[in-house]
Amino acid sequence: MDFLYSYLALAAVYVMLGLSTNLLVGIVGIFSVSQAAVFGVGAYIVAHFLMAAAPLSFLPALAIAMVGCIALNILVTLPALRVSGDYFVVTSFGIQLLATAVFTNWTAGTGGANGLPGIPPPDLFGYQMASTFQLMVLCLCGLLLACTCFWLIMRAPFGRLLRAIREDEHAVAAAGKNVLRAKVSAAALAGAFAGMAGGLYATFLSFIDPSSFDLDSSILLLTMVVVGGARTLAGSIVGPFLLLAMPQALSMLDIPTTIAAAARQLIYGLLLIAFMLFRPQGLVGERL
Amino acid sequence: MTAYLQAAGLDHSFGGLHALRACSFEVEQGRITCLVGPNGAGKTTIFNAITGFLRPDGGHVTFRGRSLNGLRPQAIVHAGIARTFQNLRLFTDLSALDNVMVALPRQFAEEPLGAIFRPLRAARGQTRLRADALRILDHVGLADRAREVVRNLSYGEQKLLTVARVLATGAELLLLDEPASGLSAGALDAVMTLLRRLQTEGKTLLVVEHNTRVVQQIADEVLFLHQGHLMARGSPQQIIADPALAEIYFGGAI
Repeated sequence: MDFLYSYLALAAVYVMLGLSTNLLVGIVGIFSVSQAAVFGVGAYIVAHFLMAAAPLSFLPALAIAMVGCIALNILVTLPALRVSGDYFVVTSFGIQLLATAVFTNWTAGTGGANGLPGIPPPDLFGYQMASTFQLMVLCLCGLLLACTCFWLIMRAPFGRLLRAIREDEHAVAAAGKNVLRAKVSAAALAGAFAGMAGGLYATFLSFIDPSSFDLDSSILLLTMVVVGGARTLAGSIVGPFLLLAMPQALSMLDIPTTIAAAARQLIYGLLLIAFMLFRPQGLVGERL
Repeated sequence: MTAYLQAAGLDHSFGGLHALRACSFEVEQGRITCLVGPNGAGKTTIFNAITGFLRPDGGHVTFRGRSLNGLRPQAIVHAGIARTFQNLRLFTDLSALDNVMVALPRQFAEEPLGAIFRPLRAARGQTRLRADALRILDHVGLADRAREVVRNLSYGEQKLLTVARVLATGAELLLLDEPASGLSAGALDAVMTLLRRLQTEGKTLLVVEHNTRVVQQIADEVLFLHQGHLMARGSPQQIIADPALAEIYFGGAI
């Protein structure tokens, strides 16, 4: 049963990341390949405050992480706020590499390549969580919260404004709207989603290391959005649940673990290419 | 007396191309003014300079006595001037209704906090916006196409939709870039009737137009532009009767 619970908890975390990525890449058209870096910062911040000499409880630590990730995500998408274009991918790529370098080498803060073990499980209002089931419920609550926020903004004028910006930001400016402010708001929201995902991820696994927040992870997030479907809530949910189930499916086949890991990356890559070529709208989304 | 819209000494170069040279003109309130001239005369550049999409190298624009220099496009819309684009620039993946709704001013929940924390108010606001947008679409004759995705609309319908979108901003001075080009005879009449009606409703129109028949029928005043400079102004009859202008306009071909 624990196996199913951890699948659901991790899938919930990746749905939040999927929403974060979908909001920027799918809806506003800011092609970020560094969402895993923001995710990582959220995870490290929560770990830091929970493991400090005078530890904070979970919710304040999560709040700090979310605020930090909001600020960071605005900062890293800043080049895309002024000019839209494919050049941003290169900038974003650089940001991701920079983040990985910091996660790996800042040993005092992040534990370096060895990672940070022993992150305590979350507590809520004085109640200490312990079982996988409880943690899963917490993650699913996070998922519900993030999905509700996403749904609400997409049915509000803000959602329409973001879609319009993706299509033609000059026309949006000509309609009297502040494009820059809308993009900053979207980046902030995407940062909040990634920060929340990071905090839940760190406390759920109780161990984090840079490999969860590297370029491969960012590309995995993009793959989830592409496979699930861009620009829709359903797509952001289906993608992570499906792609996280795949390693489990692979493990049922009788192949050595070393090959399985490589096979997984291979399959992710093939999926990304195949969907972009033959079904750019993903399973339940719209054309990217 | 200050002019309604006044452009004074506009100058602009794109690299070596001198697009505007000391270009000055005025637009009177409540009239339809047509901006004509051969290709490359600077008509669209003037639109860009007025609406904040381009900062001219020199000169200034005032609207109702207020300087527009250095204002960004959205601030100029708030001041009361809105424009269409020659290449339409519609949001082609959105419905006609959504295209108009985006442009409506003073919307609640145009940012995430209102959308998330005041969802009921946001929903009520949406209902009102939808009604306003439908009224505008009805006004331009597109009410029955409201739910259609823009790329399924005909070219004529798309042109009407660009007018609906500038109307949605609530601006009083509308800058229309070739609203009649590429239209069939029937669609052309629909656009001209619409422009006349907008005038009777109190809008002021500055229109870039190539079709001399359209200019003759709608213009109260014509500004003739040549090589980035105002060459002549007058009634459509005066401008069309001037052989020197016809020579420039048709490049001596006739």
